Amino acid sequence: MTARENAGAASVTDAVTAFSEEGTADSSDAAVGFDRDRSMERTAAVTRPASSETAATDDRDIAISVTGLSKRFGEGDAAVTAVDDVSVDIETGSIVGLLGPNGAGKTTLIKSILGMVVPDAGTVRIRGIDLEERPRAAYSAVDAMLEGARNDYWRLTVRENLRYFATISGVDPNSVRDRHDRLLAQLDLEAKADVPVRDLSRGMKQKVSLASVLAGGAEVVFLDEPTLGLDVESSRTLQRELRRLAAEEDLTVVLSSHDMDVVETVCDRVLIMSDGAIVADDTVDALLSDTDRHCVRITSADIDAALVSRLRRRFDAIEADRRDPGHRIEVVTDSDGLYDLLAMLRDADVTLERVRTVEPDLEDVFVDLTAGDQGDRGDR
Amino acid sequence: MSAGRPDATGTPRPAGYYHLARAVLYREYLLFVRYPANAIGGLVISVFFFGLLFYGGRAIAGQALTDSIEGIIVGYFLWSLSVGAYSSISNDIGSEVQWGTLERHVMSPFGFAPVVLLKGVAKIVRSFLTSAVLLAVMLVITGTGLELNFVTTVVVATLSIVSVLGLGLAAGGVTVLYKQIGNWLNLLQFGFIVLISAPAFDLGWLRWLPLAQGSALLQRTMIDGVRLWEFPPAELAVLLAVAVGYFAAGYAVFQYATRRARRLGVLGDY
Repeated sequence: MTARENAGAASVTDAVTAFSEEGTADSSDAAVGFDRDRSMERTAAVTRPASSETAATDDRDIAISVTGLSKRFGEGDAAVTAVDDVSVDIETGSIVGLLGPNGAGKTTLIKSILGMVVPDAGTVRIRGIDLEERPRAAYSAVDAMLEGARNDYWRLTVRENLRYFATISGVDPNSVRDRHDRLLAQLDLEAKADVPVRDLSRGMKQKVSLASVLAGGAEVVFLDEPTLGLDVESSRTLQRELRRLAAEEDLTVVLSSHDMDVVETVCDRVLIMSDGAIVADDTVDALLSDTDRHCVRITSADIDAALVSRLRRRFDAIEADRRDPGHRIEVVTDSDGLYDLLAMLRDADVTLERVRTVEPDLEDVFVDLTAGDQGDRGDR
Repeated sequence: MSAGRPDATGTPRPAGYYHLARAVLYREYLLFVRYPANAIGGLVISVFFFGLLFYGGRAIAGQALTDSIEGIIVGYFLWSLSVGAYSSISNDIGSEVQWGTLERHVMSPFGFAPVVLLKGVAKIVRSFLTSAVLLAVMLVITGTGLELNFVTTVVVATLSIVSVLGLGLAAGGVTVLYKQIGNWLNLLQFGFIVLISAPAFDLGWLRWLPLAQGSALLQRTMIDGVRLWEFPPAELAVLLAVAVGYFAAGYAVFQYATRRARRLGVLGDY
């Protein structure tokens, strides 16, 4: 995916290396962590310079192309800009995470792309087909699981739901029976295939919902909070299945989640939204490595209260725990700050007993990028 | 229509309207046989109220009621059909909005219209099944006989309730926009009684309202034994025009409401 206009807040890796599907399609991977490593192989390859408009016209296989999408709700002073001039391309076979605080515009963006919300401006193309001009043709390639929706019929059995929604999405259900069997097996729903959905647990209902979205063989799926309510094991199974479908069947996934671990594990790229706009668009690794932000935890008997006090004056982000004797300090700072910290400790004749670096995670990056937008509006 | 994509274990074939019809009707069938209590419950209530009407009316009005019992049975049969068609389609749309399944139908490559049309057909079939049982029970209770010409009865009754199906679609559309109003719109079904009773008076312009013309023709079919081809073409034309007109208008309201809901961002936002 490449945000064409809104990637100013985070630089985009410009390494472009040849990407090969070979060696990435092994569905027998037991660990999601392994998939994560493979996803990094993919992301390095599919990353494109964000600034160039020509990026959208090169030979990449674009599944979803969004240009200048905007949506405002309300009139006059009460008007709220839910989506603000978003342009983005999403490549076929990629899994893109959509992050943002409540009210950042994630759901409105997804619904606008799907045509469930009519945007004020902008165009959406799915597999090259303009959604507004030819909605039926565009919809033949897409399906969605929206947040908070049941998404299927609880009075029908699991298998009946898969068959029904495969038909609704334009596929003869008899021709995808094997696919349904495999989906049921991989999501551990085989034993419940002929049970009405209403009799299943919440986690299983969530899996049925996902299975019904995948039942028709859609090329592009939007998943809004797909792991909500799932236990750890089910969540991992689902993540593994998404990676397998992306690798083997070129499934394109746009996934919105509050669960940073899921996004970090499964997504090739991450879009971070704030205030209706995309403020970052990059690979997880690039987002993590791009921040000039270091967190060190140092323990020493030589760090006394006076030194802690001096450090507090120099560093804003510092935590200090009293130890007997000395202190353990945790400082978050940039490169220059780190040099300063070590210099101050050296000047104070501090012997470093224990030094640990704490790697930033996606949540830290997310908080940094969206600070000020947290929770100031309702979810849209 | 979508061809889907090649699968690791087979090639998805595109579904046609036949598959769509089968899927929608089969779902209705499954719900009907799997949850018979819903249908039977409605039937029991209908029979109960008819019993109340019949025995209570006979106690009060005596012979007068007995003389007009055929008309009452036909009217009650048509009312049962109408309520079944109207409330099932409008309630269904309300439920689909809540479940988030409406959006999935809106996103169907078939387009939303064929899906809604097929749902309407399914509701009519279901309504006919329960109302036919009700009719049989009413005839047994009252010991009355009616002219039951199958083809004429089905055609006239179907065209009569197609107009009501249009009203149901409109009500469903309004429910999409204003979520809380759906239950109030159910009260509209009591207005059907007035429309069904209209033939007892001079029809006049009332014939252009839903059900009125259908009720008049159904009475003549089921009581006087008039066959479809024996009706004046103008009478049938009015019946057809009312059916098509109200269904089209109802569908247009539904389309407008869902489009407006999409503009306002409230589609499925229950």
